[in-house]
Formats: sequence, structure tokens, C-alpha cells
Amino acid sequence: MVDCDARLIIEVVDDVDALAKAREQREKSNRNIAWLKAHAHEVYSHHRGKCICIAGEKLFVADTPEAAYALGRTMFPEDDGLFVRYIPIKKVARIYVYRG
Amino acid sequence: MYIAGEWHPCDDGVLRPVVRAEVLSSEGHWVHHEFLLDVGADRTVLTAAALRILELQAVNLEDGLAGIGGSSEAVGVESKIRFTDDRGGKVIVQGQFAAVRDLESLDICVLGRDVTNNFGVIVDRPGDRVCMIAQPDRYSIVRG
Repeated sequence: MVDCDARLIIEVVDDVDALAKAREQREKSNRNIAWLKAHAHEVYSHHRGKCICIAGEKLFVADTPEAAYALGRTMFPEDDGLFVRYIPIKKVARIYVYRG
Repeated sequence: MYIAGEWHPCDDGVLRPVVRAEVLSSEGHWVHHEFLLDVGADRTVLTAAALRILELQAVNLEDGLAGIGGSSEAVGVESKIRFTDDRGGKVIVQGQFAAVRDLESLDICVLGRDVTNNFGVIVDRPGDRVCMIAQPDRYSIVRG
């Protein structure tokens, strides 16, 4: 374990079981991401201002991130590669935050 | 160590440099999130959606967050972010990160210099490459 910053610690994982589990999870999220990429136009154009969850390569839509996440986890409890995203109401040029 | 990202098509159709990772929830689950690789951001910030589904305990943030849109209500959270290198290895960054509370203020997590200062960062649109590099790997520039 190496202390690389006053506030952050960076650790390289060497536990074989943890690595195998993490790789399996990543494969599942890969499939969900591929699904979203293939359906991006349809999803983004119909659900602005909503929260979406992709789980089991299916779309779940809700008003809140908690509700979208709960839908995905309930329908596909074995899919730990699910993810949640909020789709902004408007398409605008974005400049992201910095510390003031 | 070579952590590959990608030019990711966002909801507005714009390609942005993104690195994928998992963030540890309060329940001990690793949850997938995408991070904008922002070499101009001072610190890493989680979206409101991430904050809420990860159920992380929020604390006051000594330094606020500000951008062109003004100040954002932000909190600090203790968690871990797990990255995957190109050989399937995992790297975990642990510490306090910022998070916003408003869904509209940030739609993608931001990977800031608190994390990226520990890596060489390449964000190359013409070369179609996004990555973070640390020892023992390195990069070189070949002048034509």
C-alpha cells in the first residue's frame, strides 16, 4: 500500500479471488454498456430528465436514481454489473467543476 | 500499469474522455460508474445519482466546489474507486471524494487531479486514445 497523496491511498489488488470476482463483474457491466451504446439514441431521446438503470441488458426508467437502481436490482439481482445514470433535461455544452 | 479509457459517446452525442471504474457503496457493493477524465478539475467529484445509490455518509466539505455555473452544494464522502488495468489487474484509490447533491449540476462523475496526479494521463482525440499510466509502464513522445 502506497500513500501517494495526503488524502488518498492507492492499493494494487493481489487477492486472486477478489480479482476473479471483479473481472466477472466487469464483464457484466461491459454487456450492459454495449447494450446502452446500441440503443443510445432511443434511450437518450425519450428519457430526458429521468434516471435510467441498465441491468441484464435491459432498460429501467424512474424519476429518482434510487428507484431506477431498485428496479434493476429487483429484476436482475444476479447482475452486479448494472449501472445508473441521470440524463440531463437539456443538451448543453458542459464545463465541469473545479474546487473554488 | 496501464488503465485504458475511451472516447465515450455521451447523451448529447458528444465524445468525451472517460475512464470506467467501480465505486464502493456503504453496503460493500462495487457499483459501476463512468468518470470524465478532466485534467483541469482539482478534485474527483461523484454525481448526485452516485451519491444516492451508493448511500455514502456525507460530511461537510471544507472547500466548496465552483465552476462557471457558480457554486454547487457539495459534500465529502469516504469511499474507494476501483480501476482495471489492461492486464485485468485492479487498482483501488481510497480516500475522501467530493459529491454534488443536485442531479442537474453534474451528469457524469469527474476524475480530478487528486487522483490523476498519481498517473501520466493521455487524452488524445486525433490518436483515439484515453489512458492513465503509472510505473512500471511509461510512454514516450516521438517527434516527426
